[in-house]
Amino acid sequence: MITQPNHVPERLALLSASAVDPFLTEELLKGEQVHGGIDLAKVVESLPDDARWSVEPIRSLVEDAMFEFREDRTRADAWLAPRLHATLRLTRREAADKRLWNHVALAVAPDYVAWRHLSEPTAKRPERRIAPERFRGPADRQCFSRLWWAAELFRNGPDYAPVEVACGNQDLIHTVLRGGLVDHRPTAQALVRLLQNGQVTGGREVNGLSVAINAAGATLIYDVLAPDAPKDPTRLRDWIAEAGSALPVGRHNLPEGPDEDPVPEDSVAALTEYFTELFETAPVRGRKGVD
Amino acid sequence: MTLKIYPYKRLNRPVALRVTSVSLKLSDGTRDQLETTAYSTQQHAVALGIAGHTDWVSATIGLSATLPPGANAPDAAWSDLCVLAVLTDGETNVRTSTALTRDAEDGRDWSGSLEVLRDDHLGRASLAVHAVGTVDGVEGRSIAETDRSWVVDTVSEEPVRGLQLDVQKASFSKSSREWLHPYADVPWIVDVSARVPTVFVNTDVDGIIALLDSSGSGVEGKVRDLLVAQMATDVWTAVFHGAIGELEVEAGGGPVFPDDWQGEVLREMLPDVVPGVHVEEALRQVHRRRTGDSGWVELQTRIHYAAARRADAGKALAYAIRSLEQMNRESET
Repeated sequence: MITQPNHVPERLALLSASAVDPFLTEELLKGEQVHGGIDLAKVVESLPDDARWSVEPIRSLVEDAMFEFREDRTRADAWLAPRLHATLRLTRREAADKRLWNHVALAVAPDYVAWRHLSEPTAKRPERRIAPERFRGPADRQCFSRLWWAAELFRNGPDYAPVEVACGNQDLIHTVLRGGLVDHRPTAQALVRLLQNGQVTGGREVNGLSVAINAAGATLIYDVLAPDAPKDPTRLRDWIAEAGSALPVGRHNLPEGPDEDPVPEDSVAALTEYFTELFETAPVRGRKGVD
Repeated sequence: MTLKIYPYKRLNRPVALRVTSVSLKLSDGTRDQLETTAYSTQQHAVALGIAGHTDWVSATIGLSATLPPGANAPDAAWSDLCVLAVLTDGETNVRTSTALTRDAEDGRDWSGSLEVLRDDHLGRASLAVHAVGTVDGVEGRSIAETDRSWVVDTVSEEPVRGLQLDVQKASFSKSSREWLHPYADVPWIVDVSARVPTVFVNTDVDGIIALLDSSGSGVEGKVRDLLVAQMATDVWTAVFHGAIGELEVEAGGGPVFPDDWQGEVLREMLPDVVPGVHVEEALRQVHRRRTGDSGWVELQTRIHYAAARRADAGKALAYAIRSLEQMNRESET
């Protein structure tokens, strides 16, 4: 398994997808050999001066994750997502720039990408490989951006506890991050609640439920059933401005997110109840009474 | 348009939406009311970059929506009628909504305003309006909606909804973008992996910039238009291939239209690539041909055709030829 590149930059930068290609070698995708870092540093675009772009806190997080979850790599998601989000404080506008995530994956922590996403050998595919989209790909597939966005979409104001629950279910973040379902905050919180109270557990159930919610959503406007409160943009800006003076995120306790208002409880309760009813009649493969 | 069957009564015509004002709140707390040229009813587009502010915090967009006839009928199947403006952005996973209020008690016009936060968007958001009511005891039923969303572009200086290109000039052999070096012997390359498709023009080619910047209407101008049409054909072709190559496939197995400009490009080009079917079906056919055993090679001609049409290549060539003929005639006399 590869280690970090010999040269790891001190600051985050932007790495365009076209510039990524020469570094996404077959050796890297097999997890055998990583670039040295020097040549990659030549093709990045630098970011304006800001304490937020310091690489060290991110490096230290991924190293702790690799140590702590060496026995069970998948579980690292639920631990890393909130901590990455609270360490790398971004607006959604900044986080939508894929060049930033390319840089984290290729220049800062390719060893983490390999550690987390190198496939296990199977009878069908005996060769272990990392999917290129884990380095450079859609926001819900790329190794680090999927975690950041999961944290952003499932946090309830400053509370990251729902993120841990959501990321603890691989099927949930795999299927639900795309398609815009959880862009509506009350929907995201209601889904977490169904997982928490054990009404929805396995992957098939999560899939069945999200198909049912989407189908019902074709004729129902969830924003009316479960209104959200308007967002005050200064809360996030303040939190970002504090990034320079913030302490490193706790390794044992969950950090605190931006001080935004939580989702109105009435809305979460109403949708949880509605989804529960929907789920009881939804076709789920493998469940009794369904082929 | 796909025909949908609803299990309840709805209005069968769309909601009409107009933007009536746009203002920006700047970071120093002041407000700038933008000119009416910031939005276009014909294009269904709003350009928030028009006044050149980069430090704005939020934009307030004034809206007016007219419901189709029948919305207020005394025997209507719905009650608790409300009208909601919904802003979505697939790139930043934003969905915000705001309720509009009825202008007059028995009227069909509703109005209100929507806040767009600068920090929440990188490029374009989409704005739609839904009329919602309680039907047969079910709350939150969609009764009618806009049939064409408005594009809210947080960067653009011009309210247009079509594909926007970024053109960058660089010396390919000396650029600090080292990845351009291997391309030093061609006049331009197209990069569709960036957020917005980008044409890099190689300034190593003597005179290319002067030609591209020329504004004359003479032969030079016609040659420039021809060159631009050629670049645009390349861009449309590359964008189409890029979008088709990265299609997401739904759990059921069918390809999904991308949320961003790639989706717009596909919707625009597919009717020329696979004529005579709905765009959804056209997308399935193209996806099947690319990933299946046969038919992808045969499709290239149609893709090139669709790209050349978008780029107005025929028109540019016709004008260039006519201009050359005129020049020859003048030199003969």
